[in-house]
This record gives sequence, structure tokens and C-alpha cells, in this order.
Amino acid sequence: MSENLSAAAMAQWVRQFATLIAQNREHLTELDAAIGDADHGANMDRGMSAVVKALDDAQPTAAGAVLTGVGMTLISTVGGASGPLFGTLFLRMGTALGDAGEVPSQELGTALRAGLEGVVARGKAELGDKTMVDALAPAADALDAALAEGLPLADAVARASEAAATGRDCTTPMLARKGRASYLGERSVGHQDPGATSVALLLEAASELGR
Amino acid sequence: MAPHEAVGIVVVSHSRQLARAAIALAGEMLNGQPVVIEAAAGLDESTFGTDAVRIKEAIERANGSSGVVVLMDMGSAVLSTELALELMADPAARERVILSSAPIVEGLIVAAVAAAGGADRHEVAAEASSALMGKATHLGTTTADGPPVEQTGPAPSAVAEFTVLGDHGLHARPAARLVGEVRGLDASVQLVNLTTGAGPVPANSLSRVAILGALHGHRIEVRASGRQAQEAVEQVVALAARRFDEPDHPGRDDVAVAADTPAVRAVGDARQPMPATPGVVIAEVAGLLTADVDDDVPEDAPGDPDVQWRRVVAAVDDVRRGLEQLRERTRRETGSSEAAIFDAHLALLGDPDVLADVEAKVREGLSAARAWTTALAAVHTQWSQIPDPYLRERAADVAAVAQQVLRALNGAPAGDEWSTGVVVVDDITPADVAALDAAAVRALVLAHGSPSSHAAIIARARGIPMVVSAGSAVLDLPAGTAVALDGGTGELFVDPSPETIEELTVRAAALAERRTQQLAMAGQPAVSRDGVHIEVLANVGSAADTTTAASNGADGVGLVRTEFLFLDRVKPPEVVEQEQVYDAICAALPGRRTVFRTLDVGGDKPLSYLPAPAEQNPFLGRRGIRLSLDRPHLLQQQLTALCRTARRMAIDVMFPMVTSVDELLQARQMLDDAALAAGGTPQLRVGIMVEVPAAALKIESFLPHVDFVSIGTNDLTQYTLAAERGNPAVAALHDALDPGVLQLVHRVCQCAGSAVDVAVCGESASDEVAVPVLVGLGVRELSVSPEAVPAVKAIIRTLDLERCRAIAQTALTLRDAGEVRALVRRATTAGGATP
Repeated sequence: MSENLSAAAMAQWVRQFATLIAQNREHLTELDAAIGDADHGANMDRGMSAVVKALDDAQPTAAGAVLTGVGMTLISTVGGASGPLFGTLFLRMGTALGDAGEVPSQELGTALRAGLEGVVARGKAELGDKTMVDALAPAADALDAALAEGLPLADAVARASEAAATGRDCTTPMLARKGRASYLGERSVGHQDPGATSVALLLEAASELGR
Repeated sequence: MAPHEAVGIVVVSHSRQLARAAIALAGEMLNGQPVVIEAAAGLDESTFGTDAVRIKEAIERANGSSGVVVLMDMGSAVLSTELALELMADPAARERVILSSAPIVEGLIVAAVAAAGGADRHEVAAEASSALMGKATHLGTTTADGPPVEQTGPAPSAVAEFTVLGDHGLHARPAARLVGEVRGLDASVQLVNLTTGAGPVPANSLSRVAILGALHGHRIEVRASGRQAQEAVEQVVALAARRFDEPDHPGRDDVAVAADTPAVRAVGDARQPMPATPGVVIAEVAGLLTADVDDDVPEDAPGDPDVQWRRVVAAVDDVRRGLEQLRERTRRETGSSEAAIFDAHLALLGDPDVLADVEAKVREGLSAARAWTTALAAVHTQWSQIPDPYLRERAADVAAVAQQVLRALNGAPAGDEWSTGVVVVDDITPADVAALDAAAVRALVLAHGSPSSHAAIIARARGIPMVVSAGSAVLDLPAGTAVALDGGTGELFVDPSPETIEELTVRAAALAERRTQQLAMAGQPAVSRDGVHIEVLANVGSAADTTTAASNGADGVGLVRTEFLFLDRVKPPEVVEQEQVYDAICAALPGRRTVFRTLDVGGDKPLSYLPAPAEQNPFLGRRGIRLSLDRPHLLQQQLTALCRTARRMAIDVMFPMVTSVDELLQARQMLDDAALAAGGTPQLRVGIMVEVPAAALKIESFLPHVDFVSIGTNDLTQYTLAAERGNPAVAALHDALDPGVLQLVHRVCQCAGSAVDVAVCGESASDEVAVPVLVGLGVRELSVSPEAVPAVKAIIRTLDLERCRAIAQTALTLRDAGEVRALVRRATTAGGATP
């Protein structure tokens, strides 16, 4: 990623995320099979495939619009709770980036924070509830901190990716308090949360582009 | 609102077919009256899912001038619908949408009928919300926290108003008084909260009166019909004027909770009570007998730094001594893994970095208390910033130690004493839980705290039911308030209604029944469903433990921790004294096996009469058989006493912490000598504890010299994973179900075959998740705490050993203990190893 966030860079990020989701489709479904309804991988892959197709058809020229478009596609194609949640994440990120064609890289921190707040408001999950928030919140914190330190965007994103991965790993011992996994109560303990896993992939996609 | 257009309805579901069928069902009720019902369901004909864009469009189609009520199934349907509202461009249109939490099938039918009848959208939504009432009434089940139900009775023949006078509104007790007043009359009485618009609700239902939300100053309308309508209204108004006969009880009603509401969702406090320790209790809030402890840091003049530092050292010593006693008591009465919690506290008290920091602060001129709290606050902050939630929780241990020393500095007593009942506190330290009088404390309710805290672990081990995270409002409950709670579900009821009391009494009886059944069966052998007998023995640390073991149906004693005879005294017990105690232990379970482990101490718990040089790392130092062989006199005496007992009783002798065959051979030689000295060769079997990974790995070389082995999974886990149990920073690693540990257990079982018995005597032997794996690996004897014997036997009776073997084989290939636990839970809930 360059130090300015362009529509092309955003599209590249999203496409990379789609690739990782496709590669991890079975893994995500397995994770969801343990504590949910075994559709997270299939749902996310369906949504992200639709996103890639939409980008192939017409790629917006503004960085924010790319993400907003992703959000709109996801809310109509994912189907499960990840639809409105990841949809909200992208919608809020896109809105935060505004209408400009390119925005300064600092804005990515602001956008991820806005996305996180949207997800929290939508899902009403808190840290420790074993949800995507457990990966997203540390990622947003790490990104903010790294950008505030003045790190180049690529390094900052790498840190955010590490934080998301750690956050994802931390979901394993947690007791699920939201979504279908919460119906399992104690039995949800010991399983990694699929939503947090997808968030880690989103940040991993960004980090890979930065390298 | 335009009067002539019916309210629209939108059905949001994961399934298009489900929505379509529900709409068809509702259509039958409408007799052709025009009601717009739109569906936004499924991604397509066959793909389950919800689509916020489509929901928005459906809402817009149905949203006429009268507005729309949306019914949703679960999960993403709710989230997508909320997102759909956000996507609506027209705020005025959005204002006319009501999202209903009603169930979609029943809700849709009553909502459609109401909409067709010209009800406005609020009435339609209210109708939908009460959709389950009919069914609930028919089945005789009422939901404890059911929806606000609006009911319209017959036209009232008497109406009056009153104002709620009590400071705390029409809360549980006055509401109960009101209900009682009305129930005796031949009248149908309804209440409406004129201030908020809530109601009408039937005045003869406590749960419904509670949902009026009638606070101080609210105006309530009483409507009655029926023969005694006039009397009913007059009596209610008179009762209200008498403030519902409430005694003057300042502070008592601070918690504005409704009876029958799983409760204490106090104002401004979104916490939900959480289950921590199972058990059902109906009792009163206990009163504090000791004076309230002042936990504040006194603004004392610092004075001489040397004096201040000596005060710190003395306070730390005080607390350390208290904790050491508590650790011993907990180990004796509860279990060694619970006792290990205090090791972490003791380690913190002895942490040279922390103490150096405190001393530095004292030298800078701070008072003892100020220096201590400042230094500990820094440690606490470090812990609480760790991302791992399990480790983060260990910050509570730091806080506990900090508080105990501060109390000592303030000259306050170490613990509180309570009257009989339910102890309600903000949070509690593990030490305080361990020190509670279990006979008086019926249950614990914490305003804060966590189910995975060390305090909760100890409460569980001591069998004290506990609910945590109940919110700070519980702290205002005065002593004597009636409460009911279920520590297994986290439900907490303040001033419980008779119905709640009845329900919980039934629940408590069911739990007791289960325990009674387990106890009744405890004397029977534990046989798996496919007919394999597993011996369930007891670990004991005193003759009293053995009595408990006998009454709980233990098949024998799998481990006598003989240390209890040697600790806390100035000289070792004489042979005669030992012999008497050993006899007494055997006599409690006559005719059953009793396995005596020889003295197992080390540098971490030195004996005053056996001084040993300080060791850098006592757990890797001279302990167990290493110490016994180094200082053979004690072992000689102990073996002599055991051989004397063995002339009368069937006993086994087991050596702890064995690493090499030479150690075992030396010890066996000493045993032979002792047998000669005791006058003959008694028939006793000899075994070793497998705690050192090396012993498991070279078990073949030990097998020719032993009759049995007992795997001590606590230490084996600690040594295999290089993770000390008491160290909170690595406690998460310490799980006997780690496949690395299981590989060692597997190896021991395989090599031992049928020639040598394999037992497990660690905590894992009573862990319901571990038991299927252990027996699947070939363990045929489990030695557990005396209290756990009935439950472990009950677990075994549910198992199919063939399935357990398959589970165990898979477990060996997994990555970590978390995966093993998940596997076992899946297998056991899927009807695999258990029914």
C-alpha cells in the first residue's frame, strides 16, 4: 500500500481478503460447525465472491466508495449474522474515508475505529464475548497506536494484523455470550471464534499487501 | 395517524418458505380484510439468510401512513433489520417502524388480526408481544420475565386513581401486598400507570404489576368490574394511602427489582448476574458481625522511613503466615490444586522486585500504606493490561494480596465474620472464601467478580453456591432481605415470590435428589455401560477424610498423603504414633485397599526438624523420595510403622517423585529391612508415583520392580509442560488433557498392560472431561477427593469404554488441551461416550 489510500489500493485489499476467505472457507466452516451453524465459511465466501464480481463489473474511483460498495454487497449476500456485521464494518469504514479519491494513510486508523464502533453498536458485543470484536478491537487499537508513533502504513498494518491474530487466539478459551454460539454455554469454551478468525484474515490481507 | 389505513407488517426470516407459510397461516385469520404483510426472507428460494437491503425495501412497501410492525426470527434477522432501518433515507418513515420481539408465527397471527381490526401500530406491537400468553396460560406455564402484557378486561364499573407514595415505588413487597388485597375479592381489577402509559395489567398478578414500573410519584389508575368492583377500588386506594403497609425501612428498597424477575438489573447497571458455583439457596442476606473494615489508605504522617519499612515487613509477614495456614487448611479440607492458588499469593508477597519497589518508595518518604498501595497498583496495572482474558483476571489475585496487607497495616482483622445466610459483597479474595464458615454461609453473591476467579474455584471446591457480577445494587440489600438464587444458572431473586420460592425449592430438591441418587449408588461398583469395572478410590490427608471416603462409597484409598503427620510440629512423629494413625486410616475402610505414599516434602514446605538448604527451584530440587533417601532416618521410621500396620491390614506402599530405578531399588531395600525389623515379611504391594516425565518414558525399566503405578497428573502436567500450577502467568498451560501429558499416560498404560495396575490420583481423575480420556487410555483406577467419589462413579456409569478408547486415540493426535476438551464435549454431547 502506498502512503495514500487510493481506490485501487482498497480494491486490492478487498480482493486479497476475498482470496484468503476462499482459501480458508473450509476452516471457517469447521470452526463454525463447532459452535455455530457451520455456515460462516460458505457465507463469507459467497459474500466476498459477490464483492469481487461487483469490483470486476465497476470499480468506484473513491477509496471510501470501494468500501461502502463492499458493505452493501455483503449485507445482501452473506445471509448470516456476518452479513449485517461485516456489512456495517465496511459501510462505516467507507463512510469514514469520505468522498475523496485518495485519502491520507492516517485515515485508515480512523476508518477501522469507525468500523469497530459500528460493529459494536450493531452486535452489542463487548470485548470478551467471543466475537469478531475480540479481534477487531485490538487491531484498531494497534493500528491507532502504530500510526500515532509515526510508523509507515505497512508496518502499522502489520502490527494491527498481529494484534488481530492474538485477539483471535484469545477467543478460544472464552465463553460465548453472543450469537448462536452462546446457546452452547460452557461448551463454546475451547473453540476459536469464526468471526474473529475472519477479522484476522481481513487484517492479514492488508498486511500482505503492505509487504 | 390516518385512521383508515391498516398498519403494515413485515416478516423477516432466514427461510423464505417459513415466512411464506407463516403469512399464509395469518391470512386465514383475516377473512379477506386488507392488511399489507411483506416478507423479506432467505437469500433465495433455498438459501437461508437475511438481507438488509431487501428488508429495507419490504419495510418501505408496507410502511403506509399508519406505519409498520416488523417481526423477526433470530440472530442475523434482528441485526439485518436494525441495519435496514439505518439504511432508510426518510427519518419520518423510520419513525413509523416498530421492531417487535414477538415470536414470528404466533406474533404474526395476532398482529395481523389486530391490524385488520384497525389498531394503531403500538397496539399491534403490544398484541404481538403478548402472543404467547394464550399458549402459556393454556399450558400452565408463565414466563418469569414475560413480555409486558396489555390486557383489556370487561368495561370497568368502578374507577379511581392513586399516587405512589413510597420512596421506592411499587416494588416487590408492596406489589405483593396489593395483589393479596385484590385476590380475595370477587372483582376483576386492572391497573394502568397513567404517568408512563404502561398497562393495563391485572392487579392479581405480581409479575404483571411489577411491569407497570410504578415509581414514586407515579399516578396509577385502578379499574374494576364485577360484583365487588367498588370495594376493590376503595380497598386498593386505601392501601395505597397507607403506603401498602410498608414498615419504615430506610435503605431497604434501594434495589428496585420486581419479584419474579431474575433480578437485580438495577438502574444504570447493565450487569447480568452470572453463575459461578452451582447450588440452589433460599435464605436471608447475612449481616456483617465484624466491624466494617477500613480499606482506605490512611493519611498518616510517614515519619521515619525505617519505622515505615518495618511496618511493611511485619504486615507482609502477618499476611504470609495467615496465607500459609490457609493453604494448609485448604489443601487438607479442599484439595491441593485449590491450595496452590495461595502459592501465587505467597509468591507475590515474597517477590523481591515488588518489595524493593515498596522499600524504595518508603525511602522516598511515603508512609507504609501509601508505598505499599502505590507499588501494588503498578503491578495490578501490568496484569490488567494483558490481552489474554484468563491472565488478565489474575490481576484479581494481586488486588487480593494488596488488600490483605493493607488491612494488616491498618490493624484490621484478616477476615470478616458473618451471620448465617447469604453473604453479599462487592468482591471477595480467595483467602476470604477459604476462611468462610461453610456452615453459616449458605451462598455468596458478588456485585462484581468472575466465574473463573480463584475465589470462585475455591467456592466451588468448598461447595458454596455463588452468583457473581450481580451489579452494585445488591450491596444495598440490608441484612435480613429474603433472596433466592441458583448458582448454576446465575439467577438471583430479591424478595422472591411464592411461585419463585416454589420453583427453586423444586430445583433444589432435584439437585439434592441427584446427589442422593449418586450417593445411594456410590456403594455400588462403578461399571461402564459396556461392563468394564473402574475402581474409584479416595485421596485422603487425615483419618477424618477416610471416614468421609467410606460414607461416600469409595472402593478404597488410592492415596494417603502422610505429610499431614509430619507438618507443623517441632519433631517427627514416633513410630508408635504413626502406626496408630495408619491403623485408624485403614480401619475406616475395612477390607479395602489403602495406598500409603511415603513422606513427600521438599524445599517449598520444609520441616522444621529437617533443615534443608534453600533451593533456587524447590520443585526441581530435593523433594519426595530424593529427600527421603538423602535423610533416610525418617523414611526408615515411616516404613517400620507401615510394616507394623501391614501385619494387620491390607496396605500398599508407594514412593513419590521417583526418577530413576536406583531410587526405587534403594527404597525397596529399606522396605525389606523395615519389614525384618517389624518382625516378618508382611504382604504389602509396592508401587511408585509417576510424576516425573522421565519415569513415564522409561516405565519399562520400573515395571519389573513394582506391583502398581499411580500417575500423579498434577505434577506430571507441571513437569511435562514446564508450567507451575500456582503461577498465574502460566496457569492456562497447566492442563492434564494436553496431548503431551496424555501421550505419557498412554505410554504407561500400554507398557503396563494387564501385568501392573495403573491408577491416576491427580485432579484430572475427577474432571468429568478428563475421565473418559483417562479410562479410554487404559486407566482402571481413579483416586479422587472423598467428596467427588459419588459423582465420578456416576460419570463412569454413563460411559461406553469402546467409545472412550476411540476418543482417547483421537485426543492423542490433537494440538492442545483445548482441542481435547472440545473433542470430549462434542463426543459426549453427541451421544458418543455417554447417553
